[in-house]
Amino acid sequence: MKLTGLRALVVVMSSIALLSVIGLGANLESIASNELVPEISAAAGMALADSYAATMTEAELEALAVDGRTIGLRTAASGALAILYRDKTEDEIMAILKGDADPMIRAAAIEPAQVYLVSVTSDDEDFKLTDYLKDIAINGETHEMRLAAAKAYYFMSRKSLKAADLEEQAVTNDSDELAYAAGEALSGFYLSFNPKTQAELEDLAINGSSEGLRVAGEIALSSLLIKSDLTALDFETTLLSIAGTKSAEYRGAYKIALANRYAQ
Amino acid sequence: MKKTVLVLLGLLLVFSALAIAQGYETMPADAKIIPLGQADTPYADAQPGVRGGIFYCATISNPKKWNDVTAHETSTTQYTGLMLEGLISTNPVTVAIEPELAKSWDVSEDGLTITFHLRQGLKWSDGEPFTADDVIFSFNDLYLNEDVETDTRDILVLPDDSYPVVTKIDDYTVQVTTSVVFRPILNSMGANILPKHALAQYVHKLNPDVPVGTFNSAWGLDTDPSELVGMGPFIVESYTPDQNVTMRRNPYYYHYDPNGVQLPYFDKYVVLTVASQDVSLLKFRNGELDALGIRAADVPILKSEEAQKGFTVLVNPDLPNYGTSWIGINEDIGLAEGTHDNERALFRTRDFRAALAHLVDKQAIIDSLYNGLAVPQWSPVSYLSPFYAGRDYYGGPVTEKDAVIFEYSLDKAAELLDGIGIVDRDGDGWRDYEDGTRVEIELNTNAGNTVREGICLIVADRAAKIGLKLNFVPVDFNTLVNKLFASTGELIILGLTGGPEPNNGANVYKSDGGLHFWHYSAADNPTEVEKKIDELLDAGVSTLDNDKAFEIYKEYQITLAKDDLGLVYTVNSAFTYAYYNKVGNGNLSSPVATPGGGGLADICYFK
Repeated sequence: MKLTGLRALVVVMSSIALLSVIGLGANLESIASNELVPEISAAAGMALADSYAATMTEAELEALAVDGRTIGLRTAASGALAILYRDKTEDEIMAILKGDADPMIRAAAIEPAQVYLVSVTSDDEDFKLTDYLKDIAINGETHEMRLAAAKAYYFMSRKSLKAADLEEQAVTNDSDELAYAAGEALSGFYLSFNPKTQAELEDLAINGSSEGLRVAGEIALSSLLIKSDLTALDFETTLLSIAGTKSAEYRGAYKIALANRYAQ
Repeated sequence: MKKTVLVLLGLLLVFSALAIAQGYETMPADAKIIPLGQADTPYADAQPGVRGGIFYCATISNPKKWNDVTAHETSTTQYTGLMLEGLISTNPVTVAIEPELAKSWDVSEDGLTITFHLRQGLKWSDGEPFTADDVIFSFNDLYLNEDVETDTRDILVLPDDSYPVVTKIDDYTVQVTTSVVFRPILNSMGANILPKHALAQYVHKLNPDVPVGTFNSAWGLDTDPSELVGMGPFIVESYTPDQNVTMRRNPYYYHYDPNGVQLPYFDKYVVLTVASQDVSLLKFRNGELDALGIRAADVPILKSEEAQKGFTVLVNPDLPNYGTSWIGINEDIGLAEGTHDNERALFRTRDFRAALAHLVDKQAIIDSLYNGLAVPQWSPVSYLSPFYAGRDYYGGPVTEKDAVIFEYSLDKAAELLDGIGIVDRDGDGWRDYEDGTRVEIELNTNAGNTVREGICLIVADRAAKIGLKLNFVPVDFNTLVNKLFASTGELIILGLTGGPEPNNGANVYKSDGGLHFWHYSAADNPTEVEKKIDELLDAGVSTLDNDKAFEIYKEYQITLAKDDLGLVYTVNSAFTYAYYNKVGNGNLSSPVATPGGGGLADICYFK
């Protein structure tokens, strides 16, 4: 089967699944479990994280994050773990990030690690936190460790970096994780001091010359979509129509916006 | 044996009943109704809420004590401010003075006597009645008691160096008499009222069994929180150093919403102690805090998550915070040591200080260091004050019509320096004194404050463009403060807090003020300009007419900014704040009132 035909089939199947769950008034868990369009399934999972954190144990969530049947269930579990992991010690969090657990579990440790990473101190007079973080962002043991450090690096650098600096670093950087985190930081400028229109952000999310730039477009675009009058059904329809096309970041913007609507 | 146990049990039950105050059976007739959501009131944009929930915010400092009277630091007053109330308060929306523990007051025709009528039927958080005795105790036995170490006495001193006389008329009426007219008297009488029944035992004047000064260490951190008593919305319940302070709802708080629901809405108010402002920001982003005061540099990172995470980032470039930021020019440099003759003479020359004012490129500072979130500052009085000289009249709109504006101008700065003989005499590109030595001035600020460091670099850069050599040297904050008080610094960039009332700056701008750090020798030998400023400050408090006071303070500000110029003002950062959308009435946040910083804590709720 040609790729185009496969996409068409996915869309049709997804439409059936979506219409069926909507028609049945199904809950988020059904969408996360049954939806075939991964972004819709994941959006439901994102919206489920809070309730999973409140009702499931850490062991149950870790099992679901690894073995969950769909991306939606795995996303829900990973998001819930991120909430539970806030109570873990620095050593525990770092062990998860650096260890050989499933990437979905390591991903859950990225946000809780931020508090520890920005608080690192040293007796070494020459110690500079941003240099330390940048080194981990480049040489960290796992993708998640590098990404956590990259996010912390741009957090701590936020007072000195402007949009133009971040635009450059979202394209050219010493690691993919740093470029990604630069894109995240850049998105805030597109929503505040260097605003871009929705059309510009859509173009950036689709055609940005690097993942970092597309991520900047994705996050900023998702913010505009959330603040729009569009409904969950509007976002679902769009995700169905663009399933497997455009760019992962463009679809990601709609996924984030849909998760927001699901959570309301 | 059995009887003893029963007796003990009985005693325990009684004590428990006392300890767990239940609150009013019905709303007191003199309760204060906050008109949330009612049209034509300051609260028209607010909504009545529902009770429940725990509000979380954060701080980077542990409290030093629970004693509001002796506190000097906001790390303490952020809690005592929630535990206690004054006779009057300022409205968190309009900043206007309004009744608090006093339900009304009368002012005599000569303005020398104010009679406060207290709310009746109110109780302290432990269930004891609130009466005029508590007011008399607070003023006569605490604030005006020389044995008690308190800053509040400084704001009660009158122009003739006497103090107000506070007398009890009856259980619910208190009279305050001043020997001379003192316009800020209402502000001053807003000082918090303390519980006599709980604290009189620590005051030597009332209890000779305790040594003089015992009160100064009363209500320390070692005090059992169950002994703390207040009239405010929350009472300290527990404290864990480096972790948190938990406050619980005061069961006898006397504020109610329009539906008759007793405030505050939150069951508890928890302040987490965190290592840094960066950790606060991360915790807010994680949803572990409900509200947070933020800085300009934090805005982009929060805007990127604002919609997704469901919080609001308040950014208002036109709404600056209270306070001032300035370059202090030390006119006493080397005076004590007999050194720095050239510098001292130069710094004491008004046109040099004016040239420096023209070198402050405020727009560049605002654009590059504040992302546009700041306004130029021209006056010692905060932009938001109704007395700000840039207003057309008391409380009027800010037009800057009468503000003394030293626009950024290299030409004007150069012209002024040329005019006082500070020119390049040896052709090396740098300006020299008349004796041929190069003018070379050290410019300090506290190391690590990246914004102030940036301001120093911009000012030094602009000065270099006209041949004036400023050497930027960042120094440790405590070292900098020591330089300030010892008059050993040359140019220093720092800031001061501020508020609506200009007289609160008297300790800075009066020639004998304790913080007149740029010219301490003026205490013995004031300049003509400083004498005029002293007179204007005294005149400003000696009229009860705000319109007249406005004109006096306008002249005061113009004189300070145009002729004195001991402090050259830079810029004032804009108000920025973030709160989760689930926090009802968070939309009322302003530079004077926020859910996490006080002012709105009693009326915010969880949707």
